[in-house]
Amino acid sequence: METLAHVPVSGIILDEIIEKHRGKPGMLLTTLEEVQEKNPLKYLPGETLAEISKKMKIPYTQVYSVATFYSYFNLKPQGEHTVVVCRGTACHTKGSKALLDDIAVILGFKRDEDDTESSYTTPDNLFTIKTVACFGQCAQSPVVEVDGVIHSNVNSQKLLNILDKLKRGKSRKKT
Amino acid sequence: MEIRINNRVVQVAEGCTIWQACRSVGIHVPTLCYLKDVSQNASCGVCVVEVKGARSLVRSCITKVTEGMEISTHSPRAMEARKLNVELLLANHPQDCLICDRNGNCELQQLAFTLGIDSKRFVRTRKEHYAKDDSSLSLVRDPEKCILCGRCVAVCGNIQDVKAIDFSGRGLKTKVSVFLDQGLGNVVCTNCGQCALVCPTAAITEKSAVSQVWAALQNPKKVVVVQTAPAVRVGIGEAMGMPYGSLVTGQMVAGLRRLGFSRVFDTNFGADLTIVEEGNELLHRIKNGGTLPMITSCSPGWIKFIEHFYPALLGHLSTCKSPQQMFGAVAKTYYAEMTGIDPRDIVVVSIMPCTAKKYEARRPEMDGAFQYWKETLNLREEDRFFDVDYSLTTRELARMFRETGIEFTRLPEEEFDSPLGESTGAAVIFGSTGGVMEAALRTAYELYTGKKLDNIDFRSVRGFQGIKEADVNLNGTILKVAVAHTLKNAGILLDQIKDGTSPYAFIEVMTCPGGCLGGGGQPIPTNAEIRERRAASIYFEDEHKQIRKSHENPEIARIYKDFLNEPLGEKSHHLLHTHYVERGY
Repeated sequence: METLAHVPVSGIILDEIIEKHRGKPGMLLTTLEEVQEKNPLKYLPGETLAEISKKMKIPYTQVYSVATFYSYFNLKPQGEHTVVVCRGTACHTKGSKALLDDIAVILGFKRDEDDTESSYTTPDNLFTIKTVACFGQCAQSPVVEVDGVIHSNVNSQKLLNILDKLKRGKSRKKT
Repeated sequence: MEIRINNRVVQVAEGCTIWQACRSVGIHVPTLCYLKDVSQNASCGVCVVEVKGARSLVRSCITKVTEGMEISTHSPRAMEARKLNVELLLANHPQDCLICDRNGNCELQQLAFTLGIDSKRFVRTRKEHYAKDDSSLSLVRDPEKCILCGRCVAVCGNIQDVKAIDFSGRGLKTKVSVFLDQGLGNVVCTNCGQCALVCPTAAITEKSAVSQVWAALQNPKKVVVVQTAPAVRVGIGEAMGMPYGSLVTGQMVAGLRRLGFSRVFDTNFGADLTIVEEGNELLHRIKNGGTLPMITSCSPGWIKFIEHFYPALLGHLSTCKSPQQMFGAVAKTYYAEMTGIDPRDIVVVSIMPCTAKKYEARRPEMDGAFQYWKETLNLREEDRFFDVDYSLTTRELARMFRETGIEFTRLPEEEFDSPLGESTGAAVIFGSTGGVMEAALRTAYELYTGKKLDNIDFRSVRGFQGIKEADVNLNGTILKVAVAHTLKNAGILLDQIKDGTSPYAFIEVMTCPGGCLGGGGQPIPTNAEIRERRAASIYFEDEHKQIRKSHENPEIARIYKDFLNEPLGEKSHHLLHTHYVERGY
């Protein structure tokens, strides 16, 4: 679904962000992170990566290498709400796969069983569903992160309620 | 330093790696990712050995020897691990060796055989099948065959400083990518092909035009002429099973005739022509306050590099086309007129040590002969033809020889055809770093001073040092010159120009390590030692040539008398000179 026009972050904001991190260790990572946050669709369009590369004098391929290495970075527009299901061992034994299947049914998409890192965005652009290897919240497994907030001991009913609320636009917790 | 390798006490050099130590006592530990002078990623895990006291197996390519170290290169544990690592690589590697470009010359195939791997032990783990990337005019990438050794990334980044490719993704999804995966033909790649030269498999190869050339040769209506670059004569023998650096000019000519080419000409004729034009251009710039330093323009990878990375400095490039392109333009004008052959029926094939030449031949402006004939022959746009029709690498020529079953080593030595086969020693050395400079100096000196140059060997510009300098005395005027090979070294000289600190009047740049003899289209393997041998053969041929200065080539004198009139003249301007494109980054 590439119906949405790409929305790059303006050059002025890029300059500001780059300036803020210049010279610090890991400046490319922190810059990419902040630029993605500034993007209304929470992603890094190709032209933004190219701009960052030119402005920071870091080769295109190195920027691309970093942006594709970390699952945190999105190269495609993200839905309004992000749901991240933990697929770590503890969450798996407590049924996180079933949760993922539930979400697929509720939101009506087909999940690629073999692709552990797939990300799916609903056609109405409301939800992006992702998985993660471990949140480090194993004691409260299974956990699901919704728009940056971690929900513990999630079961199907709880998940249904959360998604329902989001659909009706009542809960828009943002961190 | 005394260590033990496989229970034998041996003396090895201090500070060397285990791999080097083993090599020095005659044990070749197999590797895939490690390549001397190029990469040391320690990513493949094939070179593991057992070291007494170490908790795990160590990678011999990066581990230094220490006093008293006890190494076992083929203990059961080391052998098993080595085999396992290769078996894991084979899980996702295609098994279609029979129809692979590198069949018979693939390090992975060789290693699987050497290690006695006799079954496919692991199933494919990667679900996604990657498509071939054939967006480039010079190279084809097949990520399915990539084993992620990282040699190509290292050579592109560290030796050429181009960084057109790098790893993307993570884990199972790791692959070698260009920016945004938009295709090699759409990024800053210079087409140098060094990646293809170091690739252990066929993940990067040249874009072959062998079948098109066969089709042209089999078309009775076409007059197919061939030109061979200077570095091919010291490379093709290797590909036909001869020792490294074998000088096989005569056999190569004979072989080309047997393939069916109507005329076997020499790019060296184009090289001599280049020198006369370029020498005059340099003197013209010096006398008239033109842009200096002037930089040579024979190496198409270098041209694309400066167009991308230093577009503001394009004025420093000589406007001379490369010898390949000068030859093509002259073959379809001067030679066509001389013989009365319709230029549309002439097919120019060039044999180059180079992959970037394929790209160069398709640059839109390389249609000088078409423009020349347009009015006379009443040509329409759809009749448009390029000056050079097909550019093949040394490796592709070897493929053609093998297809015919010609026993290369038994071929007699034959001479190039006239007139475009006549050349000098100055042209031969174009094949080595420093050669164009030396050839240009031989001519420029005599043009400038009007005196005969007695000692024509400019030894200070020879050899494989990254950047070489020389002061040349032209009747009291000191000409400061520099020679660089590899694009990283070229970048250093360009930065000086940018900063206004460049002391030079004339600079030669060659894209590939060692110059064309180490080009991306040369036989695999190509390494420092092999480059030395090829260079030795090139300078040997120069020394034994009767004529060693480009402007003394009688056929060059003739083409100016009968056709071009004068260097830098009207016809030269249209056929032998070109312009460049600001591509930007």
